[in-house]
Amino acid sequence: MGILDRSEYYDLTRTTNWSPSYVTEDELYPESMSGSRGIPMEKWEAFDEPYKVAYGEYVMTQREKDSGAYSVKAALERSNFVENADPGWVSTLKAHYGAIAVPEYAAMTGEARMARFSKAPGNRNMAVYGMMDETRHGQIQLYFPHEHTDKSRQWDWAHKAMHTNEWGALAARHFFDDMMMTRDAISVSIMLTFAFETGFTNMQFLGLAADAAEAGDHTFANLISSIQTDEARHAQQGGPNLKILLENGMKEDAQRMIDVSFWRSWKLFSVLTGPMMDYYTPLEHRAQSFKEFMQEWIIGQFERQIHDIGLDTPWYWDEFVRALDETHHGMHLGVWYWRPTVWWNPAAGVSPDERDWLEEKYPGWNDSWGSCWDVIIDNLVDGKPELTGPATLPMICNMSNIPIVGTPGPGWNVKDYPLEHNGRLYHFGSGPDRWCFEQEPERYQGHLSFIDRFLAGQIQPMDLNGGLAYMGLSPGEMGDDAHDYAWVAHYQTEQRAAS
Amino acid sequence: MTSVEPLKPLRTWSHLADKRRRPTEYEIVSTNLHYRQNNPDSPWELDPDIHMNKWYRQYCNDSPLQHDDWDAFRDPDQLVYRTYNILQDGQETHVRSILDQFSDREQDSVFSQEWVETLASHYAPARYVFHTVQMVSAYLSQMAPASTISNCTTFQAADSVRWLTHAAYRTAELAKSHDSVGFGENERQRWENDACWQGFRELMEKGLVAWDWAESFTFLNLVAKPAIEATVLGGLSTVAQQEGDVLMTLMCETQLRDAERHRRWSSALVEMALTQDGNLAVFNDWLDKWLPLADAAIDAYCHDLPEGSDLAQSAKKKVKDFHRQLGLG
Repeated sequence: MGILDRSEYYDLTRTTNWSPSYVTEDELYPESMSGSRGIPMEKWEAFDEPYKVAYGEYVMTQREKDSGAYSVKAALERSNFVENADPGWVSTLKAHYGAIAVPEYAAMTGEARMARFSKAPGNRNMAVYGMMDETRHGQIQLYFPHEHTDKSRQWDWAHKAMHTNEWGALAARHFFDDMMMTRDAISVSIMLTFAFETGFTNMQFLGLAADAAEAGDHTFANLISSIQTDEARHAQQGGPNLKILLENGMKEDAQRMIDVSFWRSWKLFSVLTGPMMDYYTPLEHRAQSFKEFMQEWIIGQFERQIHDIGLDTPWYWDEFVRALDETHHGMHLGVWYWRPTVWWNPAAGVSPDERDWLEEKYPGWNDSWGSCWDVIIDNLVDGKPELTGPATLPMICNMSNIPIVGTPGPGWNVKDYPLEHNGRLYHFGSGPDRWCFEQEPERYQGHLSFIDRFLAGQIQPMDLNGGLAYMGLSPGEMGDDAHDYAWVAHYQTEQRAAS
Repeated sequence: MTSVEPLKPLRTWSHLADKRRRPTEYEIVSTNLHYRQNNPDSPWELDPDIHMNKWYRQYCNDSPLQHDDWDAFRDPDQLVYRTYNILQDGQETHVRSILDQFSDREQDSVFSQEWVETLASHYAPARYVFHTVQMVSAYLSQMAPASTISNCTTFQAADSVRWLTHAAYRTAELAKSHDSVGFGENERQRWENDACWQGFRELMEKGLVAWDWAESFTFLNLVAKPAIEATVLGGLSTVAQQEGDVLMTLMCETQLRDAERHRRWSSALVEMALTQDGNLAVFNDWLDKWLPLADAAIDAYCHDLPEGSDLAQSAKKKVKDFHRQLGLG
């Protein structure tokens, strides 16, 4: 007879729901953790994961994947790629590891929420593989940067960042904790696996892998594309749950979860991935612009998936599409200007050639963002670097916890979106950010942004140094210009020629 | 801005830098990862009063079992994801090989009817009990106060899927040669109604809602799993040997290797907790609460097995011996 085909026993592995009698069903699956929304247990048993894997296949495949990723790392270790790489690319690596490694490990908790509390047996099994995958992603993305800790104290932040109140780490925690750590099992499957992983991890792990391959960083390219193969599997837990919600008349709820998670994901990517792709990655290695990647992965693919499943494009889609031309430029300008407040060295990415590229990819860039950079460049050329750094703090959005930005220049649209709620005034970076808050204000109302804490006197002394100390940033960790301002030489030459 | 000397690069993460030796791969990738433990007032970066912040404050931070530094816990096996898969892929290759061999021998068709019925009543429904172990393990992964503990329970959850998969596989295989006893059809009904499973079902249902992380650990790893392993794996394996079901014996052996690993880290965790005053009484109170249910579960499961009374005595003794080794009870 030989070995049975997986299909002959697979259904039995997910025929594991039973009717409890020593405790009630509601005790076994508390609504706050389970999120079954009154849909009966047997309806959840229709959950059918599109990607099926049995235990033996999982450990075999994953062993092979790890073998590949670790072998490439070992083989290329002697080439000292990172020591010789462009500093802008090194900044991408530092930012990536600090913002991604520990949150990926934390995603294990979101998966575990489904593994324990989902009423769909197939979901519970798949989520155990998801727990394992996220353990992998945390561990491998700590192991790879660890070898660089002897190069700069900034590499320590691959592990340290999420344990600090650095503003970017605080924003990342607020996002991840909202989407995956504090939600019921069904919400996690939709907000984390469907909206975030199906939509956005492609951007970080395939888009950035393309840039990494172009840049010759085969270790990183290989690592993150290997990670994405796991994401592609466990991201498929949201779809079947969405189907069950829709079949049971819960479209409105499902749509709201997608809309909140999508917008929040977008804002995080605008500050993290946008600058990496359009400013830090050396010009000659940019596979596509951030906007082009977003158009391919998000607008091209994710929007189709939303429609296929019977949901609508989020209500703010026009604003989102418009923001693809804007938001990340403002975020980048802010991160570079407040560079001591991050754990990597932001690359300005505004040499004349780079500006030509930006103008081509984002027509009008020179008149808007370029006009701000002109002031910075003039100050650097004039030997006044002190005028290119922060003396104050930016306004921070009470939803995204990142700076409130807009477009400068002739199309000026910098605007606060305030909301008074229970006697407190909140500030938001956009209408959709404010809308997210209004959906469930109780989740956010008692949270203090970095600026709220500053104004409440929690950050002492009340100046930039106090802020840096609160963020856990010391000299040796604080960011500065990635290329040590070497790019300014172009403009000094230009100015000398002009005079 | 400041004249402080820039921090010098280190050879490892700053939180491991005061160790005299170079950290192991295990330490580099496993330690101090639960950022939710940093702010006891608001584990999650949202409104401090949301439900999940209260849940973690109550069931993790305010557990009766206290330790000053849970992050100091280390898995004695130092398993990381990479090595877990190497270990278990090896084990699964072994399992595939024995499944293949015994299938070629058409062993299932020569079993006595009595043994086939025992497999249908006492083995095939085990996938439910293994699944409950999987669920509690997953709960512990999201609630434990240190990443080094969560990692052990995550691997334990995966091992539970392994045991569940083996049970499902054998159930499907047995259904092919014995279509009259309801393999693959009656397990839920047996799990919900058969006398031999009601003790374990009561134990697991009540344990599944023990929300305090340390009580959940005590319930699962010190009581329920040892009881299940002494009966559904060890006890049944003994009977299988007498019945000439070598395959069952070999399958149980490979699963018990996982169980031994679970006990190694559980023992290390208990040992670490007992260094703190007051924890012994906490453990013992929980053992007093859960052990009677486990004993009853063992008795019910063994009742209809050949020499069931002896099996039950032996199983209960194994559970208590484990506690004695740990200095508990």
